[in-house]
Amino acid sequence: MATRAERIGRRRPTAVSSWVDRHIGWLLVSPAVLIVVALTIFPLGFSLWLAFVQYDFTLGPEHPWVGLDNFVENWKDPVWRASLWRTVWFSVTMVAIELVLGMLLALAMLRPFRARRVLMTLFVIPLFISPVVVGGFFDLFVRRPYGVANQLASWVWPGTVTVDFTNDSPWLYLVLIMADVWQWTPFMFVILLAGLSAIPDTLYEAADLDGAKPRQSFFFVTLPLLVPIILIAVTFRLIDAAKLFDIIFSLTRGGPGTDTYTTSYYLYQQGFEFFHLGQGTAGAWMFLIMLSFVSFWLVRRLLKPVEENSL
Amino acid sequence: MSDEVHHDPDVPQEDYMSGLRMARRDFLVKSGLVAAAAAAAPGWLQTEQAAAAIKASTSAGAARDSIASSAVAAAKQFEGFAMGRINEAGPQALDDKNFSGPLWEKLTGIETKLTEAPFAQIRTKIIAENLAKSGALDSVEVSPAWIPDFADQGVIIPIDSLIRKNKAQATVADLHPLYRALARYKGKTWGFFDDGDVWALYYRKDIFSNAKLKAAYKAKFKRDLRVPRGWDEFNQVAQFITDQMAPKVYGTGMGRALGNPGNQFYFFQQFRANGGRFFNPQTMKAEISNAIAVRTMKQILLQNEASPPGVEKLDFVSGWGLWLQGKTAMIMAWPPTGRISENISQRDKAFSFLPKSQIVGKVGYARVPGQNGEHAGAFIKCVMATSENKEAAYLFNQWATSPSVSLQRVMLPYTLRDPYRISHYRAPSYKKLWKGADQYLVTLAEAANDAVLDLSMSGAGDYANALDRSMTSMYAGKDVKDALDEAAREWDSITNKLGVAKQRASYAIFLKYPGATSKNTVRKLGQAVKV
Amino acid sequence: MRDAALDRPRTEGPGSIRVVRGGRFRPGGVVRFVFIGLYVGFLVLPLYWMAVTSIKGQDDQLSEPPVWFPSDPTSVNYADALNRFNGWKGLENSLIVAFITTFLAVLLGTAAAYSMARYRTGKHLAFWFLSQRMMPPIAIIIPIFLLYSRYAEEWFGFTLIDTRTGLVLLYTVFALPFTVWMMYAYFRQMPPELEEAALVDGCSRLQALGKVAWPLAAPGIVSAAAFAFIFSWTEFLFAQVLARDHAVTVPVALAGMITFFQGNLYGQASALTMVSLIPAVLLGILVQRHLVRGLTLGAVQG
Repeated sequence: MATRAERIGRRRPTAVSSWVDRHIGWLLVSPAVLIVVALTIFPLGFSLWLAFVQYDFTLGPEHPWVGLDNFVENWKDPVWRASLWRTVWFSVTMVAIELVLGMLLALAMLRPFRARRVLMTLFVIPLFISPVVVGGFFDLFVRRPYGVANQLASWVWPGTVTVDFTNDSPWLYLVLIMADVWQWTPFMFVILLAGLSAIPDTLYEAADLDGAKPRQSFFFVTLPLLVPIILIAVTFRLIDAAKLFDIIFSLTRGGPGTDTYTTSYYLYQQGFEFFHLGQGTAGAWMFLIMLSFVSFWLVRRLLKPVEENSL
Repeated sequence: MSDEVHHDPDVPQEDYMSGLRMARRDFLVKSGLVAAAAAAAPGWLQTEQAAAAIKASTSAGAARDSIASSAVAAAKQFEGFAMGRINEAGPQALDDKNFSGPLWEKLTGIETKLTEAPFAQIRTKIIAENLAKSGALDSVEVSPAWIPDFADQGVIIPIDSLIRKNKAQATVADLHPLYRALARYKGKTWGFFDDGDVWALYYRKDIFSNAKLKAAYKAKFKRDLRVPRGWDEFNQVAQFITDQMAPKVYGTGMGRALGNPGNQFYFFQQFRANGGRFFNPQTMKAEISNAIAVRTMKQILLQNEASPPGVEKLDFVSGWGLWLQGKTAMIMAWPPTGRISENISQRDKAFSFLPKSQIVGKVGYARVPGQNGEHAGAFIKCVMATSENKEAAYLFNQWATSPSVSLQRVMLPYTLRDPYRISHYRAPSYKKLWKGADQYLVTLAEAANDAVLDLSMSGAGDYANALDRSMTSMYAGKDVKDALDEAAREWDSITNKLGVAKQRASYAIFLKYPGATSKNTVRKLGQAVKV
Repeated sequence: MRDAALDRPRTEGPGSIRVVRGGRFRPGGVVRFVFIGLYVGFLVLPLYWMAVTSIKGQDDQLSEPPVWFPSDPTSVNYADALNRFNGWKGLENSLIVAFITTFLAVLLGTAAAYSMARYRTGKHLAFWFLSQRMMPPIAIIIPIFLLYSRYAEEWFGFTLIDTRTGLVLLYTVFALPFTVWMMYAYFRQMPPELEEAALVDGCSRLQALGKVAWPLAAPGIVSAAAFAFIFSWTEFLFAQVLARDHAVTVPVALAGMITFFQGNLYGQASALTMVSLIPAVLLGILVQRHLVRGLTLGAVQG
């Protein structure tokens, strides 16, 4: 009878393979690290340099060192400050809505029913559409006089609706948030559904034996087990939402005025369209640092090494 | 279903409709196969325009255009070269893909490698390529507003020596004086002008000759209904039409979406027609928040009131859509408006994003109220300084903008390029395109005679964007004076950032162009073109 | 096993079939299906509008009141989008780039994640990977442009600008944070007993990874792959800047149709979007079977 090792197909160890074995940890991790480093070391270094020099197309080809001037220029601009604030509340709102909606949806879809497979395929479709296009179509949807939004609203609301969804706040923000929610709720949904279905029934049986009602078992059994999954999903989603750009680009172009500028869009305008590259890069680095703090706080629980599952 | 076949305007409507019915029957499969076949076949070779262009470039008789043919002859030595071009994504790029690119290759063996980019990114891509120095771009489309910065920073090269070498001075002389000046900066020529983007007023002749309307207007305002000459009159007429005929027809409806086309154009035009100026030439303080500016903005806001709902976010093409469906009575717009209103280009599926014109034969042409129309946008064909074959790039530019080839290109629907040569305005073939075409050409030439220019100086893009944004916030309800003050503050900070002395010099250069203000238009300088 | 657990009616907790007082999710509960129905409506409405826009002729595109279904559907938008506005080229490039990126990101990411989870090769690595994703594009877009167009040529002799290779490399770097993190969390929760048993039996560590861990992690890998694919399929800004005419991807082609100066080609854009959904839906069908299963933590039952 074959030993387990023989069944797996173990060969006689050679000198090379035992060297590989001893250093397997580093060998496995190095291709990923190498490719990231190779591709980012020059851009990051160059970018860091850009933040401290004058690099502006209209100002000429010299790049004298200007110290912290680029950073200060950003802070002096009220649009930068407003965009930062807006980015915060946009991303928090969007992620919160997506989380709640995704969770409700995952709970509702947890139990199998006939159309579930089809619906699941349908649900993931928004993820495959580029955000630029999603923004463009929501724009088409709501804009007057050709868009459908007002017509639809008039069906459900008594009287005719004549809201300008792309100009009047708060409707303007509603549309943006809806576009993002439409696109990214499936992301939350998929991840949460997987987490939910991993929770073994035995835990629920035990809770039930203890007399817990479904709502209690949700909060005391389900949620605690889901926390790591929720944290990953929220972290990634928050990081991406904070960089919200594509939808703004195609839906409102930051308007009216600068009312829908997010930090990413502001930096794009400054650094890319106007080529005030030094200033734009400085702003981006500041934003990166801010975002790092937030995400570090979110994932530090996940970063704690789990000793018991090491080899 | 080749999309390059030229349709005779006299062919009846049925062909178009039966085409649609056939499509409905064999939906996906047929379209896929046929489209693939159409893409493979060189349909463009069969069009009249292509034939005319080839004839002008190669024949030896009267049809020969020496500018075109000498360019072709000189370029043959570069056969096999792959020329990098950049153009706006969408219909504009179809010129390079379907017409000038393939024709040039056929004539000279030079291949076109086209980069398409949204308009807002063309400038950045050119600058980025200038940094990269990889030789990827040779001939580029440059908006006149960018010429000062591009010339000063050495992104493009002056072409005077190449013009002399190729004895192409005649091509420059044929340009309308307004456009001739735009390609020159600091005493040198920086490219070949290629698009006469002057605004005119397009109005519905049938509405203005409607007897009941005329009577009602006379009764109300005690004077005759006529095509408005000034902006206050425009607002009065527009509001009147809206009051009488909305929601079927509105007085006006010009797209006010941010960046599409860009509200700064509207302001630039009306502000100067009202007598305003952008900066104090000595102190360089922005003067866009003074009483004239406030009055201008209020006029613009009144226009919005006479427009269909949603005009604040209306993009330019949707505005065209409204116009073509007959829903607006007057619009101030780019020259393609005249062509697309007549359905001569509807047969080509090139403009499939526009509805068929319901107002064929009902369109009249006039100069913009205030008489000084804006020359908004436009393209100049330039040569990149980092090009690895500047002469080949230059020769393409010379050929594409030569009188005969450019005539074909400004008649093609999808290039969105508009007449800019004196020979264009006088071309018999153009006048035959539709019944009012001669009037159209006359109006365009006169509009150019009186036109005022986009602000064209260092940092022009920043200024334009600041203004555009503040105008959109005004549409959303912000107080006019507040918004203008904020725009003026932004303008001043831009000026300071770029250097007051530098901006003063740049502005002084701008002021010398014909059309920089309403006081030194081409006509006022005595160079008006009579068509 | 997992599938059965998914499909067996739950008796406890959320979604259970026991009748409970005040429970929000009663079996076949009306609320549940109403909720799903509302969401489906919310989801489908823009999709429907997109689909209908793609078959509308030019008259119907900009008509008021809006046309809910055109009386004369046309395929002209599809022909246009595919042939005249870089549709075919975009699809081909997107497919190639997305597949290769997914392959690389999953391969490298899983290897790295396994190492981080099992061999503790630096807990800071995890956060470092995450931070790669936080950088706003503008900070690195011009440097990367220069790297690809000028410095790659100067230092290595080949240019990466406008190449699919260039895009693949970049997208892999962008996708790695997600794949690494997904698999990292996955492996951490996966009990190492089977691998330990394999090692005790004399397998090399590499074999433990390849023959034991990898197959068990297959579902997780599938889902990480799905998201890597989605990212490459929909990325716009870098593709726009780095591509010229060869490496144009679908988002770039689409953006060219809806952001140009003098108008928006909605018919063509929606046509191309519809076509680009075909491979997406196919993949979705293939993958969704594993998608839920795969994201499960603690999947190994022992």
